[in-house]
Amino acid sequence: MTDDRVLFDNVSRFYGEVLGVNRVTLSIPPGITSLVGPNGSGKTTLMNLMAGLVRPTRGQIRVLGIAPDDPQRLCRTVGYSTQFDSFPRGLTGYQLVASFLRLFGFDQPKCHRLASAAIERLRMGDAAHRKVAAYSKGMRQRIKLAMAIAHEPRVLVLDEPLNGLDPLVRSETIALFRECAAAGRHVIVSSHVLHEVDQISDQVILLSNGYVVAEGQIQGVRGEIQEHPMQVLIRSSRPSLLASKMFEQDHVVEARLAEDGGAVLIKTRDADRFYRALNVLALDGIDIEGVMPADDNVNSVYEYLIGGGAGL
Amino acid sequence: MAVYKRTYKAYEGALTPGWSRFLILPRSAYGRLMQSKFLVIYLVACFFFPLGCAAFIYVSHNLSFLTAMNIPASQILKVNGAFFQFFCGFQGGMAVLLTAFVGPGLVAPDLANNALPLYFCRPFSRAEYVFGKMSLLLAMLSAITWVPGLLLFLIQSSLAGAAWARENSWIGSSILEGLLVWDVVLCLIALALSAWIKWRIAAGGAILALFFAGAGFGTAINAIVRTQYGALVDLRQVISIVFAQMFRDTSPPAVSAGDAWIVLAVTCLICLRLLSKRVKAFEVVK
Amino acid sequence: MASQLFSQISAVMRLELRKSFFSRRGLWIYLLAFGPALLYLIHAIDVTRDHEHRQALLASHPVSSGALHLIRQGMPQKQVLDLLGEPYLKNEFLQNGRRRRGQDISIYHYTDGESDFTFFIVDGEVANVNEQDRCNVTKDSAIFATVFQFFYLRLAVFFGCVGIFTNLFRGEMLDKSLHFYLLAPMRREILLAGKYLAGLSAAVFIFTVGTALQIAALSWHFEPGQVAAYLHGTGWHDIAAYLGVTALACAGYGSIFLAAGLLFRNPILPATVVMLWESINIFLPAALKKISVIFYLQALCPVVAAPEADTPVLLKLLISSAEFPPAWLAITGLTAVMLVVLGVAAARARRLEINYGTE
Repeated sequence: MTDDRVLFDNVSRFYGEVLGVNRVTLSIPPGITSLVGPNGSGKTTLMNLMAGLVRPTRGQIRVLGIAPDDPQRLCRTVGYSTQFDSFPRGLTGYQLVASFLRLFGFDQPKCHRLASAAIERLRMGDAAHRKVAAYSKGMRQRIKLAMAIAHEPRVLVLDEPLNGLDPLVRSETIALFRECAAAGRHVIVSSHVLHEVDQISDQVILLSNGYVVAEGQIQGVRGEIQEHPMQVLIRSSRPSLLASKMFEQDHVVEARLAEDGGAVLIKTRDADRFYRALNVLALDGIDIEGVMPADDNVNSVYEYLIGGGAGL
Repeated sequence: MAVYKRTYKAYEGALTPGWSRFLILPRSAYGRLMQSKFLVIYLVACFFFPLGCAAFIYVSHNLSFLTAMNIPASQILKVNGAFFQFFCGFQGGMAVLLTAFVGPGLVAPDLANNALPLYFCRPFSRAEYVFGKMSLLLAMLSAITWVPGLLLFLIQSSLAGAAWARENSWIGSSILEGLLVWDVVLCLIALALSAWIKWRIAAGGAILALFFAGAGFGTAINAIVRTQYGALVDLRQVISIVFAQMFRDTSPPAVSAGDAWIVLAVTCLICLRLLSKRVKAFEVVK
Repeated sequence: MASQLFSQISAVMRLELRKSFFSRRGLWIYLLAFGPALLYLIHAIDVTRDHEHRQALLASHPVSSGALHLIRQGMPQKQVLDLLGEPYLKNEFLQNGRRRRGQDISIYHYTDGESDFTFFIVDGEVANVNEQDRCNVTKDSAIFATVFQFFYLRLAVFFGCVGIFTNLFRGEMLDKSLHFYLLAPMRREILLAGKYLAGLSAAVFIFTVGTALQIAALSWHFEPGQVAAYLHGTGWHDIAAYLGVTALACAGYGSIFLAAGLLFRNPILPATVVMLWESINIFLPAALKKISVIFYLQALCPVVAAPEADTPVLLKLLISSAEFPPAWLAITGLTAVMLVVLGVAAARARRLEINYGTE
């Protein structure tokens, strides 16, 4: 069972006196998992730990049952696109991908086939034979992604992979992540673009100051944040009546009419009881045109757990 | 929108004088450099010899001490041009090692981390950048070369009397000019190699190679081609010839002082040319 | 398994050589390696032209070698002129010129086509005889040995290896590109081996070609017969020894600087310490001499180099001699030092982490 998960068991990593991550315990299943947190929260440290680039000060890590100090097995399983925007000198994009595939022990024809496939997948075919030093930021990002996927790893660790990409390439890259996740692979992504995280992630891990603040599917995480009542926007032809009926429920803490007069924003401490009550009201004849959770997303969860603008 | 709500306005206060802006570069760099324990220890060690020289000057004028030690005054080395020439040679050598440790970190990290566009997209010229970087190393080199040299000269002048000082004022100017010239040459070499080689560590190796391997190369030239002009490849020997001329040393040099000055001038020009080619806001990759 | 190891090592080597060979950054290493060969070539051209000039002088002022060798100190000036005739060049110092204690000085230049003879005649008598033979295999071998051991090994190969080997790991750290290697599925020891072999290939190629070019340039101005005689004697052995010593020097210094690049954030500091230690090696007592790479390398050189002629007397007194070990011991000792140093480097490489922010 644990062989299909990325496991962190009470892992800490310190850089001298500076905390990287502290007492992190995680079990990351297959699918798209997003690491979210402000700058310096430990996302890159966590990724470096997974890929074996740094060692934990304490605790244990297993990536699909492989320890990070076994690079021969780990690096075949993990493909890592780092945040570093520097490359070995003097190489073209194709040479970069193909040469590092040779380090896997693959023969020349296989390296060529894998490199070409990865480069085409990221639409870098036209620029593949130019020096990497002459690439734009987006092209450098794509070539990093090509290097990460070229050896068809089971775990993809991608540090801000959509950085510098134009909208078309962004959507193609997101489709690539979905494809990998659908094939049962782990895709672990860090990003600051919260609406994209919302869009693509199966689960999120929120980090702040080196600690894991929350982990799981976004709706589940939201439901556990008791101190911030859930906000639901209900469109109705009789919002005032709806609001007054809702106020009779003890779990409702606030009801605010929308400016256009066609909706009401309800804050409730208990989502389940709220929706049961809403059903009853609907059956009683109050016209309900639409029900939208207003803060059931990564952005809101981020604001509640980590704070507005903290560390950004 | 958000901009006017935050009442954004352009800065209207007083500006710092334009001529002093290059000092921004050494200001933050000093703190970083002084975090290196090795560098601090080395800088302290560079003052041992000047302190020893100061003690020697004092002892040579202290008849009661000499009498107590049963040392005839005539046997003590004279504090004259030759004394200060030796001082300049020794401290000049210490300056070479200091340059090899500090110099590589001047320009190479900025080039490696693409920081030059950040400097030059502001009203900051390439000359100011070079001056700023140079001032950092020049100040450190001056602190271990002509500054203690002039202090020693002042100590000697005060102990020997005004007549001696008047007669030997040329020694003071020789100390200042000779060591200042050497410090400027070292700074330019450090900056040029740091800019050309980009890797901080390789630049440090190249600076050491220029002086030590250069000395060996000069000797090899003399041995193979049966000439004395190999001395012109050895910068330490070149500056020794210049010091010999400045301190009126009568022993025949391997090559003329004029040739030595030409070598120093050509070295500076080559360094400036290298800096001009590398210190730019952009890099062309073909 | 073995084939995979081999293919990984060769992949690392290929990457390193592609990145580093013929890069402009390494230009100063090529200057160090090929500079002496250029000097020998200049000297060879100079000697050849000089020889042609002497042949022309001999034709215009014929004089036999035997007669030239008869001139001794104290011989009267008239006897010199009777034996040899008028010189092709003479300098006479008049009373108002450079006089030395009221003496009349004449300097006569003769040539027998091979050597230059200069006779200093003071007050009508030969005071000094100077013979300059610019085409002398023995003398040139001694000069080559001195330049090779005191400059080429201690400085050119030394600094070349500093430049090549310290950058294998430390340079990648500064360039922030080392993580690409650490993300490859290979043991860190294999990575170390691949990088070391790449650096070694480059260094050995550059510096042995430099050595070979020096020998070729040195022998260029000799007559074919002289060259053939030298080669049939100890020539081939000497050439093989010099090339072997160069390669061993690259291997020995290379291992030290590869380890320095892994162990120290600024490997120039240990490089400076090693350089200063090696440079005072000739002054050290016998026991301490043996703790250096240069001692064993000098033991393997076919010709023992003497200190420079213009070395101050005091320094000459300080130069101590120690018996060189036999060749097999020198090679074994150097190899053992290399393996120990590489073992330490491998242990460090196993614990290597990426932390570019501290560089």
